[in-house]
Amino acid sequence: MAKYVCTVCGYIYDEAQGIPEAGIGPGTRWQDLPDDWVCPICGAPKGEFEKQGESIPAVEKKQIPITKISPEMKELSSLEVSALCSNLARGCEKQYQPEAAALFTELADYFKAASAPAQDPDFDQLLACVEKDLEEGLPNANGAASTVKDRGALRALVWNEKVTRILKSLLTRYQKEGDAMFDKTGVYVCTICGFVYIGDKLPEVCPVCKVPNWKFEKVEGR
Amino acid sequence: MSTKYAVRNIRLCTKDCLCLYVCPTGATDTENSIIDVAKCIGCGDCADACPSGAISLVPTEYPLQQPKTETVISALKTLLRNKAEQEKIATGLPGKLAVAIEKSNRIMAEDLLREAGYMLPQSQNTKQFLQSLLDQKQPESFPKEVVEKLLEIISRNEEDKKMSENKTLANLMEAFAGESQANRKYLAYAKKAEQEGKMNAAKLFRAAADAETLHALKEFEVTGKISSTADNLKDAVAGETHEYQEMYPPFAKEAEAVGNKAALMAFNFAMKAEEVHAKLYQEALENLDQTEEVFYYLCPVCGNIEKFQPEKCSICGVPGGKFIKY
Repeated sequence: MAKYVCTVCGYIYDEAQGIPEAGIGPGTRWQDLPDDWVCPICGAPKGEFEKQGESIPAVEKKQIPITKISPEMKELSSLEVSALCSNLARGCEKQYQPEAAALFTELADYFKAASAPAQDPDFDQLLACVEKDLEEGLPNANGAASTVKDRGALRALVWNEKVTRILKSLLTRYQKEGDAMFDKTGVYVCTICGFVYIGDKLPEVCPVCKVPNWKFEKVEGR
Repeated sequence: MSTKYAVRNIRLCTKDCLCLYVCPTGATDTENSIIDVAKCIGCGDCADACPSGAISLVPTEYPLQQPKTETVISALKTLLRNKAEQEKIATGLPGKLAVAIEKSNRIMAEDLLREAGYMLPQSQNTKQFLQSLLDQKQPESFPKEVVEKLLEIISRNEEDKKMSENKTLANLMEAFAGESQANRKYLAYAKKAEQEGKMNAAKLFRAAADAETLHALKEFEVTGKISSTADNLKDAVAGETHEYQEMYPPFAKEAEAVGNKAALMAFNFAMKAEEVHAKLYQEALENLDQTEEVFYYLCPVCGNIEKFQPEKCSICGVPGGKFIKY
């Protein structure tokens, strides 16, 4: 009997124990769990688990050259400026400076509205972006941050990578299931790290950043 | 000025209200549960007393941000670009998942920006960013006044701080002067009490004089004006020189004009003695590393200082035998 660990939230599936309350009897083998089975804590698919004591066979890591900052990269886009302002608004809020927080929020809203809308957006484009982050952006940034031992940046990247992987699995599921995916369940976003939770039984703490679940925000559709 | 102030996390507050009992200024007792910053003196008693850990002390001044390397900033900004792209695409799509992804990417983008040098609203980076918004060409709808207001708030915080610091420094110097004067005044009173045979009063005056010395020394220390001995000697030369060249000559003249001979004599003795002091300080500065022991002899009448016991004081003529050796 083996144990399998969720690489996103650390949940352990123990074959010997099963999950009787979810109808999975003791002794249920990993390979016998349905393909669409997901982590009961964070919703990660089976592919995000690894056997305890065995890490996933080391994938040949692509050497990615460190991106040089190009002049156009130095100019932030409207949406990036908006994120910068909403970040500073949060910073002011945390310091109990409501006046400055409100002003930064006003700026963030202005720049969000000023951003040109996406041309013919679709979910495939989103999935492509997510995959690009996982294949290039994140390994590249992790490499840069590890080289100079920037633990703050590494912390942000650990959260970022886990959330990005969750987004990838959600988008993949959505391609198959469509809106039926949320028919009877709520959708929540962790306001600290961006983790997205589909379901109604919120984990006590965020599986990615460990913040208590009252920091989650329920998402309404449009 | 206090360097910290208390804040209450209303989510954690269990209304035990111990903060109300212990706060010496009533800052914690407010109708909206937000601790009154204007009243808070940063003593921390509320935070210590709070059984649910809902109160913490935050600094009025934050340390500098952690330095970031170009390569990390560049890599984080590349990721940021893609997160913003995802937010943009998701914003144009319907459904709960799109809304969740839009929000999620914004939160991730904010976190990346924090680690790319925009952690603190009051940092130099933030100021430069706000200024750059004003410097760039912006459309008419751009809320220029919001940016100006933010820059004003950030600079105002700095100015407030500077002003309070200056005020405190002035207060310290004033207190130092007052305590120093009180010390000499009480010593003078003690001497008088001794002459009158009122020995208990004399004792109290001497004890209090010593107490004022303690206060004066502490306050002066806090001003940060005590430097290395070499610098302190330079300061002493400057002070004594100012007194004998600029301060005492007009004092003496004015005393002479009104015929106050006692004052004239006191000023003249002091003026001449200060000139000697200035020269001795200068000499000590030049020979600071000298290890051979030097003795000083103080004239107990006029304050003259000599390096050898003289026949008689060169300023006031008192016999050399009266000099006190240091």
